[in-house]
Amino acid sequence: MTMAGQQRTWLRKVRLYGMLIALLGIMMFPFYAMFSSTLKTESEIFSSPATLLPEDATIEAYLLVWSQTDVLLWIANSFLISIATVVLTLILAIPAAYSCARNDFIGKRTFLLSVLVVQMFAPVVLIVGLFDVITTFGLFNSYLAVIIPAAAFTLPFNVWMLYGYFKTIPVSLEESARIDGAEQWQILTKIVLPLTKPALVASVTYTFLYAWNRLLFVLTFLTDAGKYNVPRGVFSMVGALQTDWRMMLTASVIGIIPLLILFAFLEEYIVSGMTAGAVKE
Amino acid sequence: MGTVEEFADTTSESRLERGVEYLQQNSRTYLLIAPAAIFLLSVVGYPIIETFRLSLYESPADSSVETYVGIQHYVEIFSSDIFYQLLWQTGRWVVVGVAGKTLLGLLIAVHLKGDIKGRKFFRTAFLIPWGIPYAISAVVFRWIEHPQYGYINAVLLKLGIIDEGIGILGNPDIAWLGVIVADIWIGTPFMAIIFLAGLQSIPQELYEAAAIDGAERWHQFRYITLPQLKSVILIATLLSTIWTFVSFDTIWTMTRGGPINTTSTLVIWIYQVGLENGNLGRGAAFSVIGFFFLLAFAIVYLRVYTRGGEEL
Repeated sequence: MTMAGQQRTWLRKVRLYGMLIALLGIMMFPFYAMFSSTLKTESEIFSSPATLLPEDATIEAYLLVWSQTDVLLWIANSFLISIATVVLTLILAIPAAYSCARNDFIGKRTFLLSVLVVQMFAPVVLIVGLFDVITTFGLFNSYLAVIIPAAAFTLPFNVWMLYGYFKTIPVSLEESARIDGAEQWQILTKIVLPLTKPALVASVTYTFLYAWNRLLFVLTFLTDAGKYNVPRGVFSMVGALQTDWRMMLTASVIGIIPLLILFAFLEEYIVSGMTAGAVKE
Repeated sequence: MGTVEEFADTTSESRLERGVEYLQQNSRTYLLIAPAAIFLLSVVGYPIIETFRLSLYESPADSSVETYVGIQHYVEIFSSDIFYQLLWQTGRWVVVGVAGKTLLGLLIAVHLKGDIKGRKFFRTAFLIPWGIPYAISAVVFRWIEHPQYGYINAVLLKLGIIDEGIGILGNPDIAWLGVIVADIWIGTPFMAIIFLAGLQSIPQELYEAAAIDGAERWHQFRYITLPQLKSVILIATLLSTIWTFVSFDTIWTMTRGGPINTTSTLVIWIYQVGLENGNLGRGAAFSVIGFFFLLAFAIVYLRVYTRGGEEL
């Protein structure tokens, strides 16, 4: 390569990484604003104009949030709601997806397309009707009032994700197991599901995040503060007249730590889940 | 086992008999689907019907008394100024929001496409805004936009653009911009990830051939990238349109639709009227109007998704 050519490639690299870092800076700035504010002293965080770096960093706010708010309870509730939603969704989605992948039957297309339509039926548009149903069945203020709607709105993604994946598993594998005398149940749990792991992880992560992150159902169906999840807990710290910003931002940081850990480990699966359906190979 | 073809051959006299037989032959298939189908019918299907019914009643949330009022809610909605204000604000919200997410997402994806060192790190970092609770993102943006202590005002003050802090979210003229910035930030990662996957599926030879022909980078983008990415962009913007249309947590946490309803949208109004004000009937009528918008989006989406009679 000529000197000029080398220089051009080098320049292009600088431009590319420069742009990437600039974009990353924009996208990360809110996190920076959140995190740096939690390390400031009370007098510094409420000074104008805002300082970019904490002048004398302190973890005082974390100790206060730890002792004075229910942030741990919110995290525990978020776990409970998310795990229950994942279990319920999988119990419903696995048999349905498997049945659709393995059989041809009347109503299959209708079923799969209706499921897709549900995915588009955002819960907020349904919230008045749901409220009526939840109160009629006496579920108001119970965890189920949050778990059931969350499962309904994550079910479509799960069915489609698993359906698509089950189809790629050769039937011959199952047939040979059947010849060896395996029961249908064993074939599903011992052969099919282990091979479906990527789709299962993507589905579980999607459902988990959905149930963890949504404010709407908890805001509407739970008034008992002891059952709040992370978003609802943070929301409750927004005061009508005054907000203790330092405490609220600190609780937010603590509330997203479990998610950051999840991302670090499962990023590949999250990405494959997001792109399924939108990008056809 | 009975097949779809066999069933279609049936003559009309014996159709019922054959139908029962078909169900019996395929009972296992249907039994596996039944739980999911019944669950969705009761948790999504039934509330839809209930919403339509409620929209014809006067039904306060704090009492069990319902009074039939016919189409009165709809008549009042269509003759109210707020409805047309909401339509305009929802349209503005969706158009600006989706455009912002698409452009920013595309910009990120294009730069992540090549042979980047630490791509996994970048991809994970760009993903995070999408994966944390919207309510938390919303309070963080409220903080950044805070009139006295926020960063935006600090920067504007330092640059001498303003003399004293402005309350972005308290100003009816610009509050919606303060909210939509947060929504764009939340929605961008999805677009970036989808576009990145789309970009990676474009055959590299196309670019090589273009490079040999001496095509400029902008021309490569215009004549290779964009056309190849067309269907991905179509599906992603369609999904983003739906999600932006129904965005609730962000707006509700930042402004609850205020000041004087200027950041409200159709779905915020459903919640405001139906659950905050406790007027279930009126809220349901607004929901029904929302259904039709979603239905329109859904039809377009299904058309695109199942284009060309492709097998499911």
